Amino acid sequence: MRIRKASLLFFLGPALLVVALFYIIPLFLSVYISFTPMVDWNVNRYLTQFIGLQNYERLFHIVMYDPDMRAVVITTVVFVLVTLIINVFGGLLLALATYFMDEKMSATYQGLWLLPRMTPIAVYSLLWYYFFHSSGIGILNSILLKLHLIDHPIALGLDPKYLPWGAWFIIIFVNGLVGVSYGMIIFYSAFKSIPKELIIAARVDGASTTRIIKHILLPLTKWHFTFVTVWQMFSLLMTYAQTFLLVEWRVVDSTWGQTWALYVFRTAFTTTKDQGLAAAASTFLSIIGIVLGIVALKALGYEKMILEPKGDI
Amino acid sequence: MVSIRLDKVTKRFGKVVAVNNVNLEIEDGKLYVLLGPSGGGKTTTLYLIAGIYKPTSGRIYFNEKDVTDLTPAERNVGLVFQNYALYPHMKVYDNIAFPLRLRKEPKSKIDSKVHEVAKFLRIENLLDRYPHQLSGGQQQRVALARALVKEPSVLLLDEPLSNLDALLRVYIRAELKRMQQDLGITSVYVTHDQSEALAIADKIVVINKGIIQQEGTPEQIYENPRNVFVATFIGNPPMNIVKGAVLEDGTIETTGSRLTPPPAVLEKIKRLKLKNILMAFRPENAVVSEHPMEGRFSPMGDLFEVEPLGRDAVVTVTVGEFVIKVVMPTKEAMQLRIGSKVYVNIDPNTIKYFDPNTELNLEYIEA
Ligand SMILES: Nc1ncnc2c1ncn2[C@@H]1O[C@H](COP(=O)(O)OP(=O)(O)OP(=O)(O)O)[C@@H](O)[C@H]1O
Ligand SMILES: [Mg+2]
Repeated sequence: MRIRKASLLFFLGPALLVVALFYIIPLFLSVYISFTPMVDWNVNRYLTQFIGLQNYERLFHIVMYDPDMRAVVITTVVFVLVTLIINVFGGLLLALATYFMDEKMSATYQGLWLLPRMTPIAVYSLLWYYFFHSSGIGILNSILLKLHLIDHPIALGLDPKYLPWGAWFIIIFVNGLVGVSYGMIIFYSAFKSIPKELIIAARVDGASTTRIIKHILLPLTKWHFTFVTVWQMFSLLMTYAQTFLLVEWRVVDSTWGQTWALYVFRTAFTTTKDQGLAAAASTFLSIIGIVLGIVALKALGYEKMILEPKGDI
Repeated sequence: MVSIRLDKVTKRFGKVVAVNNVNLEIEDGKLYVLLGPSGGGKTTTLYLIAGIYKPTSGRIYFNEKDVTDLTPAERNVGLVFQNYALYPHMKVYDNIAFPLRLRKEPKSKIDSKVHEVAKFLRIENLLDRYPHQLSGGQQQRVALARALVKEPSVLLLDEPLSNLDALLRVYIRAELKRMQQDLGITSVYVTHDQSEALAIADKIVVINKGIIQQEGTPEQIYENPRNVFVATFIGNPPMNIVKGAVLEDGTIETTGSRLTPPPAVLEKIKRLKLKNILMAFRPENAVVSEHPMEGRFSPMGDLFEVEPLGRDAVVTVTVGEFVIKVVMPTKEAMQLRIGSKVYVNIDPNTIKYFDPNTELNLEYIEA
């Protein structure tokens, strides 16, 4: 028993260390910092000052009275909700499409959809920077100009005429494109793991492809659906890299293109460098994430997925 | 009432020829068993009949109707899988009702049909359970119920018993046979278990490498195999094969013993100008003893092993380069000493002769 414990520690040790080093400690640090008045990374001066819930009060105040912060909240809700729907259902559609293709075709097709995920974030964002660029060299603009749909270049993500929808469209589009491949891969492998005989049986029973999807494929991958939804929700709540670059490069408006996660990042590192406030905002976001996660698991019937025990025979 | 006809049916998967130019007639109301080793093309043949696969070439007929381009549902076949393929997220009731619901039959009719078939198969008390709450035998019945509830014109079974333990298998196969006869439904049953095939088939179709090796009643297949493959595939243990040389005087010599074949066999040997011949006999058509027996063909060998299996024992003798297995009463077998010189006394009338070049039974070669 002791040996087993020791070997367990040996094998799990490195992983646990990594988790502790890169997740647990930073988490505690950030929660801790949210109770200090830290600004400008002046660690020596502020790390030992404890100011209670002041940062949270400030955050609450800003959310209540600062219209820009309101924009952040609304943008976050819209961004997460819409992108989540696109990610989950887009992934589902892609998985279904590739499931019914022959193997070679589906591999190529999936590879194509995985490209955005495999491209480095900076390169990927740069691509969309050129695409949505507000001058005539922007690909979107030049297409629209060629088609005579517009007569001069537009700044979709910046021009107040198109706000907030223009900025939302861009960040949702860019992030959605990266996100669908995740659902696609998970759902596809879930479908593939369903015994082929079940599909054949349904065909023999007279089921059309739509019926097979509705009565066999979807009910048998409920758990994957829940998992992808919750997981994607977390990542969308926390993601900011692409959006950050698009904001920095002036492709989207810094107010209506800014989600809560990006607000945290910018507050800590670029704008006011108010790490205490940023830490409070990040802790708050984590709490929201956890609550939403639990609600989603409940709503999607996680408990029901745990099977009843096998009855007498 | 449906008879099935496969007309020059071939199915290729890329380079693999899974089913090779098969011609087969399945009579109405009969139970046909497709028997063969793994990878022989049994499942593929079954799926071709079901309409899951389209043949690469050839046509399939139900009665005189060409069904080659019809879907499984249009052919109205019931299919039972080796792993049962019950829908795990549906209760037994819904599993059985599924094909009827897809046909959009009225609820009351579905309900009465489900109960009828459940009663017939004695699974009424299981209707409210999920498949994972059933034993293997129960799952098998539910799979059968789902296939039968459609009142299919053809019942197709792909190794339906191979997931059950040996005792249950023997019990259920008798039940299956009984049920098939009661319903009079044309059935195709796939198995790689030759004893199962012999036990339940009206006709056995032995298939290997996508080619039909022999088709016939269990007796025909057992008593008179068409080629060496069938001879060595059927029976437990299967037929013994001994190679002999044909001598000038028309006798056959093997490992120092001589045998005069029947005149009909001799004639064919002469006509085919065979220098060598394969002789095959069933383990139960020989007796091992310390002395040669009168009226028998008795090559001599060394007693290698005796395995008592209750009433009978399997006696293994090495005769020259050949390993011969004989089934004889355990009492007599136990008298023999391992390693001693013994005679394998073969009843000459039961010996089958095969052309070593084509491996065909001489009786199946046209005179
Ligand atoms: N969908 C497929 N794609 C490619 N090759 C296949 C496919 N199905 C069968 N084959 C090949 O065709 C041949 C016959 O296969 P089949 O499944 O009919 O054999 P079987 O007699 O049912 O064997 P088993 O007893 O193992 O089930 C095999 O060589 C197999 O590899
Ligand atoms: Mg098979």
